[in-house]
Amino acid sequence: MTKILRSILIALLISSSPALAKTKGEVWRYEGPRIGIDISRFLLPVMTTANRTGWELQADIPYKGNLFPTFETGMQWFDDKHDAFQYKNSGAYGRLGVDMSIVKFESLKDHDFMFVGFRYGYAIFNQQTDSIKSSNYWGSRITSLDRHPMSAHWGELVFGMKGELLPNFFFGWSLRAKFPLVVTNDQNIKPYIIPGLGKTGNGTPFDFSITVSYRFPIFKTKTIPKPISIGGAKHPGLNEDTDPNSQDFGGSGGGGGYNRGR
Amino acid sequence: MRIGLISFLLLVITFVSCTDVNRCYDSVDTLMISSFSVSGFKNITSMRIKGLNHNDVGGILFTDSTSSLTKRAPLPLSLSADSTGFIFTVNGKIDTLFVRHKMIISFISEYCGFAPAYTLSGYRRSKGIDSVRITDAKVNSQSIVKTTNDQNIKIYFNSATH
Repeated sequence: MTKILRSILIALLISSSPALAKTKGEVWRYEGPRIGIDISRFLLPVMTTANRTGWELQADIPYKGNLFPTFETGMQWFDDKHDAFQYKNSGAYGRLGVDMSIVKFESLKDHDFMFVGFRYGYAIFNQQTDSIKSSNYWGSRITSLDRHPMSAHWGELVFGMKGELLPNFFFGWSLRAKFPLVVTNDQNIKPYIIPGLGKTGNGTPFDFSITVSYRFPIFKTKTIPKPISIGGAKHPGLNEDTDPNSQDFGGSGGGGGYNRGR
Repeated sequence: MRIGLISFLLLVITFVSCTDVNRCYDSVDTLMISSFSVSGFKNITSMRIKGLNHNDVGGILFTDSTSSLTKRAPLPLSLSADSTGFIFTVNGKIDTLFVRHKMIISFISEYCGFAPAYTLSGYRRSKGIDSVRITDAKVNSQSIVKTTNDQNIKIYFNSATH
């Protein structure tokens, strides 16, 4: 196991070396799938009063340079002990979506970007509540609610930034507004926290992520991705961009200035 | 761009950390809102309500010695039995009412916890009670905010015996 991890680390460091990129004195723009981990999930135990732990992996791949189809998956364990009840909930989740860069890349080496995006999220989880204490004029009672399988669907709007702090190593954050769509009905308790969705108590849940990721530089190009233009018809008479570097980036047909491998 | 990455990150963490409000603002008392009248528009001059088998001084749920056509009282229901018994002393006469109900424990919020929620399903009354009308069978933590003319149950006492 140690040998495998060491080999992976060496491979990552070698592939990240800027020296390789300067072979033959050429400057290339390297792209490829990016895999990361959301380190904010490890901050949750110190940021919340309840015992909330989990992990999350994120992956994206560039499409036409400015679009990043994204997949995120993770698990969460939640144990919230109050004076009058103890609520437990655990499960797994996944999110699918797309991020879109809203800034112009300034050079072939520039990979820093600000983005907006959306996600569709789905979680399967279990919840149970123990030691529910009730009392009134007639006496006291302690009850429990059995473990109940649940699921949830939601949507997210995402805004964030990512920057290449070291070659192929990215650091980024995102702020997310989440919109619960469908949650399994439980007549006793509506879950107040859902893995991947977060707290559901008041209005729109907001969440954030802090991602450290690594890009596998398996594609190279000499094209700087053009900013995505939204809407608006082309006006006849206006010159088309004749820059030879303005070829599509990874589009259908193989993408002109796009080379595979290093 | 790098400075933006770090500064916005700090801003985001601060914002998210400050949004966790841990106070209970909701009602967790589940009380059956009951109104009382004597048939034939006769005044109720005195009224006292106790729970069945609660004979100690602290067992009095409601007492009122002012004269009026109707009285209104919030009454707790049993947490463990499927019916609750009340003893009414109205204008010096004693009557008994049993209310049947089903109960579930219902979640209010993270910081308020749970409260019982009942569905009234029937009643049994002594002869001094003319009639009983269940006007809203759902008794939950929101029942307490019912307006003056709204209630869960209406109880009419017999004018001949009161």
